[in-house]
Amino acid sequence: MHLTLEQEKMLRGDYGWAIAKAMGIIVRVGEALGAEELVRVRHAHVSGISYSTIGKYGLEFLRELALRGGKARVFTTVNPGCIDYSGLSKIIDNSLVEYQKLIDESLEKMKFKLVYTCIPYFYRPPLPGEHIAWGESSAVIFANSIYGGFTNREGGPVALAASLTGYTYKAGLHLLENRVGRVEVRVSASLLKVPISAIGLWIGENIKAIPCIRGMHSVLLDEVKNMLASMAASGNHALAVIYGVTPRGTFRVDLEERVEVENSILENYTGGEYSGSSILGYVGCPHSSPRELVEIWRLVRKYGRIRRGKLLVTIPVEFTELYRNIVLELKARGVDVATGTCPVVSRFKEKFDYVLTNSGKAFFYIERIHRIKVKLAGVEEIVRELSGL
Amino acid sequence: MSENSLAYRGNIKPIVPGPCSGEVVLVDGYISFFGEVDPERGCLIDLENVCFRDKILVFKGTRGSTIAPYVIYALRKNNVAPRCILVADVEPMLIAGCVLAEIPLFTVERYEEFVELVKSTHSNVYLEVCGGALLLYKRE
Repeated sequence: MHLTLEQEKMLRGDYGWAIAKAMGIIVRVGEALGAEELVRVRHAHVSGISYSTIGKYGLEFLRELALRGGKARVFTTVNPGCIDYSGLSKIIDNSLVEYQKLIDESLEKMKFKLVYTCIPYFYRPPLPGEHIAWGESSAVIFANSIYGGFTNREGGPVALAASLTGYTYKAGLHLLENRVGRVEVRVSASLLKVPISAIGLWIGENIKAIPCIRGMHSVLLDEVKNMLASMAASGNHALAVIYGVTPRGTFRVDLEERVEVENSILENYTGGEYSGSSILGYVGCPHSSPRELVEIWRLVRKYGRIRRGKLLVTIPVEFTELYRNIVLELKARGVDVATGTCPVVSRFKEKFDYVLTNSGKAFFYIERIHRIKVKLAGVEEIVRELSGL
Repeated sequence: MSENSLAYRGNIKPIVPGPCSGEVVLVDGYISFFGEVDPERGCLIDLENVCFRDKILVFKGTRGSTIAPYVIYALRKNNVAPRCILVADVEPMLIAGCVLAEIPLFTVERYEEFVELVKSTHSNVYLEVCGGALLLYKRE
């Protein structure tokens, strides 16, 4: 791989241990992927900062980099942690706070912007064709597919290394020649009555090449976000070409196959009938956008309040202040709001028999991590069910 | 290897180079290391008794969360890491995990053919990587 003089100095340790370690990771991953050079990135988004998911060895890794001089060289945001940062939630277990605090101190020391969210594009949307290095599978696919940013599914440590060096390897989706849609997926209008996450889960499991999705023109962006996040959970998609949305010039199309998504095949992706009395409704995976938050507020007002089970909504930390009145009213109407975290990267204080969610990503992980049955439903169905009306 | 007979010879590409020989644990599909692998025990969460400590872990590729490298790193620190990993499709986060954990990683050419053979022997095989060659011995 060709390295510039500056990059060679970084690798050699002239800029300190942390940068040498970070550059070593990038060069080794890049060489394994056949990259010929590195590329400067404008924004790193670091996943894997929740103590609940990375544990003590991940914590040691982050602390060592911070203590030995690691500092962000580009704008860097971070994913959710394992605690509720506003202390509003009664559902999220904050017992790991001491360990999470050690991680957070390390992130602060490295000068990262502590947004604790999986929707970093809310803070800085990438430009079409701009090279970025993001972890967080749902954010990666959103950045590539909606904004036309160029990023691979960087693992947490690679995104971190890109932040400390300002570079990542030029391979995979950093090259236009690899951003080629191969399978056309047609989604008929009748399907859009099913939670759209189910379509994402199906695509993730059954289509391996980059899909080109038709029929999404009437779908809200937040719904597309849920579909993309689901694809990146049940599969390894980092880019979907969405006709009419994905910016021109950031992808090519060379179709080899066409498939139609049918109602019958989605039945296995929505979960079975639920049983048991302790029910959790969950919205906000990926974190709710302002529009979604307002929509939940509208629906909770429509149905009065939560009378049956619990309804959890997860949002970025900053929304607690930005949308203070909405958050307070939701709480007054029995909704549990957690900030800077989510059930995928944290633990619950109590046991639930089943979870109702609009998120295919939450569907995929909650079943596996918390061993709770999950069913997909639309947001209105969730609020209505929990209102007891 | 006198008690074993050579059953298959194929090509293999080193992604994270290193030694690779031993018993095979085959997982037929894609894995999300976060959520589907227990980093304390070195086992798959959903499939009982599928543990890969000190064995060769073979699966199609990774899916899901980008936290995977930390889970792979924890496998090494907990002394339950596989000896090496063989896949059909490789993605950056798997490479990053293997680099951090110093686990040799390879991609297998004609993966399906190789996997069918492993299945037909019920994984009763011994695998060895020599340069660019993958040698599979059937246990007698």
